[in-house]
Amino acid sequence: MNNYLKTIGLEVHLELKSKNKIFSSSINGFGSSANTLINEIDLGYPGVLPIMNEEVINLGIKAAIILNCKINKKMHFDRKNYFYPDLPKGYQITQSRTPIGYDGYVEIERDGEVKRIEISDIHLEEDTAKSTHRQNESLLDFNRAGVPLLEIVTKACIDDPIDAKLYLEKLKELMLYADISDCKMEEGSMRCDANISVRKKEQDKLNEKIEIKNIGSISNVVLALEQCAKEQIEMYENNESIRAQTRRFDDKLNKTVLMRYKETVNDYRYFPEPDIPYVYLDDERIESIKKDIPLLPDELRRIYHEKGLNDISSNKLINNLSLSKFFNSFLDEEIDLVTASNLLLGDIASYLNKLEITIADTKLTKDKFISLVNKVSDNSLTSRNVKDILEDVLEKDLSLEEIIKEKGIANITDSNELSDLVDQVISANEASVTDYLNGHDRALKYLMGQIMKASQGKANPAMVNKILIEKLQLKKKNN
Amino acid sequence: MSKYLDLNIKEINELLKKKEIKVSDLVKEAIERIENSDLNAFITLCKEEALKKAEELDDKEVDNLLFGIPIAIKDNIVTKNIKTTAGSLMLNNFNPTYNADVVELINEKNMVIIGKTNMDEFAMGSSNQTSYFGPVKNPWNKTKVPGGSSGGNAACISSRLVPFALGSDTGGSIRQPSAFCGTVGLKPTYGRVSRYGLIAFASSLDQIGPMTRNVYENALLLNAICKKSKNDLTSSDTNEDFTRLIGEDIKGMKIGIPKFYISDVIDKDILDKFKEIVSLLEEKGATIDYVDIDYIDKCVPLYQIIALGEASSNLARFDGIRYGYAAKDIDNIDDLYYKTRSQGFGEEVKRRIMVGSYLLSGENVDVYYNNALRIRNAMRNSFLDKFNSYDLLIGPTTTTVAYDLNSDLDDPNKSFMDDVLTIPVNMAGLPAMSLPIGFSNDLPIGMQIIGKPEDEALIYKLGSFIEKELSLDLDPRGDKDE
Repeated sequence: MNNYLKTIGLEVHLELKSKNKIFSSSINGFGSSANTLINEIDLGYPGVLPIMNEEVINLGIKAAIILNCKINKKMHFDRKNYFYPDLPKGYQITQSRTPIGYDGYVEIERDGEVKRIEISDIHLEEDTAKSTHRQNESLLDFNRAGVPLLEIVTKACIDDPIDAKLYLEKLKELMLYADISDCKMEEGSMRCDANISVRKKEQDKLNEKIEIKNIGSISNVVLALEQCAKEQIEMYENNESIRAQTRRFDDKLNKTVLMRYKETVNDYRYFPEPDIPYVYLDDERIESIKKDIPLLPDELRRIYHEKGLNDISSNKLINNLSLSKFFNSFLDEEIDLVTASNLLLGDIASYLNKLEITIADTKLTKDKFISLVNKVSDNSLTSRNVKDILEDVLEKDLSLEEIIKEKGIANITDSNELSDLVDQVISANEASVTDYLNGHDRALKYLMGQIMKASQGKANPAMVNKILIEKLQLKKKNN
Repeated sequence: MSKYLDLNIKEINELLKKKEIKVSDLVKEAIERIENSDLNAFITLCKEEALKKAEELDDKEVDNLLFGIPIAIKDNIVTKNIKTTAGSLMLNNFNPTYNADVVELINEKNMVIIGKTNMDEFAMGSSNQTSYFGPVKNPWNKTKVPGGSSGGNAACISSRLVPFALGSDTGGSIRQPSAFCGTVGLKPTYGRVSRYGLIAFASSLDQIGPMTRNVYENALLLNAICKKSKNDLTSSDTNEDFTRLIGEDIKGMKIGIPKFYISDVIDKDILDKFKEIVSLLEEKGATIDYVDIDYIDKCVPLYQIIALGEASSNLARFDGIRYGYAAKDIDNIDDLYYKTRSQGFGEEVKRRIMVGSYLLSGENVDVYYNNALRIRNAMRNSFLDKFNSYDLLIGPTTTTVAYDLNSDLDDPNKSFMDDVLTIPVNMAGLPAMSLPIGFSNDLPIGMQIIGKPEDEALIYKLGSFIEKELSLDLDPRGDKDE
């Protein structure tokens, strides 16, 4: 096995998050009843012509910038001709000669080492209808026909399935953060085809490759590539030759299954789409799109680190787009961001997960969150207080102060009262006090606990801590 | 039988305005004429719809010159709720749910669609003999072809069934039948008229245009159908009165004649008549020169490559799945495609799809299509260059007059060679008009006036001048119907 090198290339299709379809005014949506988001253009009726959705072009430019691509400033569309029931016009409008972006790359990090995955081109095209096959009939849903797609093609530059996985995760993160696509593999808004060939280490020339179509998840991409490589190596070891072919990955059986051989190269009869004139992308347009690109994960990681978040918190936040977006709106505020991230990733995240909602579905406003963070960081609210009020904070339209009042969370902040409390505990626990004075720091924690207990949890811990230490220091001095 | 439809548009308009006649009178007369005609000019006659529309209009104020006028629409222009066949069995059952942009525009003018006219199948042909609905006869001699592909239009305008028609021109499909039938037909600048709703033949060449009895009425109809459309990315911004130069003197006009247009492939009678016009123009103060256009002699093969390549793709949508003809007794999806397209398309259409598919296959797309686009561009530039020195170019529209029905049916190149003088105009995206200039053996001869892009108004100026000077009797009915 180790005598062989793998050569992998990936093709990713992303459905773009535009309001309308790429070449018609129909709504671009997922989950509606079949054949309700359609018009004559989507159905390829006689005499209809495509219109051009500028929003889709802008999303394409944004993706090109993020993927470090060069941009074709004079681009056109091409027709890819073939017959299939899900292809209403008998051709797909795509980009062949002048993809919107080319010669780009994505950086992945593996074991502290940064690697570039090279992208040969990214191009815009229309999606096909969705077919569902039943026994001896096929059903077609044209809601998907004309949904804008961005196809992202890497060079055959990947030599390890794990790198393929890291690339896909990074790509997904970028496209999600830039609001280009939902990237939901389970809904088909992100689809992945992979191709792989293997060859002996001493051999320079690449062998015939096998394409694996429509792999269902990123983790399956690794499994499928590993398995397909294994199958190919076995064949070469048995002196069998490999024909160019398309296979699919069966994850239950963990093996790849032949779909078709590709000896006769598909003749798609590409030619420039005469119904769409050249599209000219000027620098002004590109620059204005560049300016509007939100903070992307790598930049966010750097900022989070600067603000004192640890790597685990950073990554947790970045893996949760809506929490991260919410968090990012406080980056310029004068609040304790570590406390903020702990609150978001702790109690708030578990509340959201339990109800399967996002932060946007709650009543948590920016102001309310700032008060919450401030009250926790100056210790006016204990973590138990937070647990007690969180549901109300997220579900009610009230301000934090109103909720605290309503819940009867009254911290003892009167220093005389606290002083008395501390004195009582000190005189009742002389042994612990002695321990502390002899240098056993653990005793302090015990004393704190006793004071909080005596106050039924209502004492303000920060103040108690301060008063306790003052009093103990005084004792030390007097000794 | 009334004869309001023999009057010119201004006379009809006066009668309507004075309420001496009603729209219903015009529509009834048109229907009667069509029903009594044996030219096979119509595929669908919209009798009930037209009469209903006419009755609605009878109570309305006459607000423009085209108000209430019957119009025929070539059957490759989509009309809502009116069967639209493109002359093919493939669409014999197709009832569109939408209107072409031009149909919306003529509806805005309150014109009355009287019916859908016969045509070569999917506009592929130049004699109207490839129609699934049978050939159209030439009103001047019923043993002759009317030309094509807008043959039904030319025949019905010529024989005065209706005064206005909308056709389409990919390589000469408006101008060549206009020449054969003695009518006026204009192919506008590519992009002038929205193609939305025109069933595509060759997208980079197709253009809808007006077909009429005379030059003024042609300009009037062009006024009505020119408007930038949000539905067609190739449509251009346009707002002008195309009749505005009609009646002006032509003294000092500089006119070029491409040498290709006086070569010996053209019938002597046609050349002689054309030379008479040239003399007339010189006599009236125009200057005439002979010019060379690069690659113009290669226009037929260039056209075949571009038009058939595009057609093979445009006609792929007719697969029997969503609309149109679907073969019965099929085993699987490939069988559905194979049988539907074998049975639904006629021979000429299938031949063109096959040739076009071949031309786009594999390496061929570079060898043929992409090279043809480059040469076409060079030809266009050569044309544009001439317009630096000349106001207009002129030449005959066709190499022959109308020929016998059923002649040369075995020669697949015949229909392309018929268009050898009209194709260069489509290749260069220019506007051009054919108008009658005389007769050869009682069959009309047409000449072509070619303008620079967007210069239709100047074409109309010269056309109307010639028309007035010649004052030909262009009614094929002669004294027969008197």
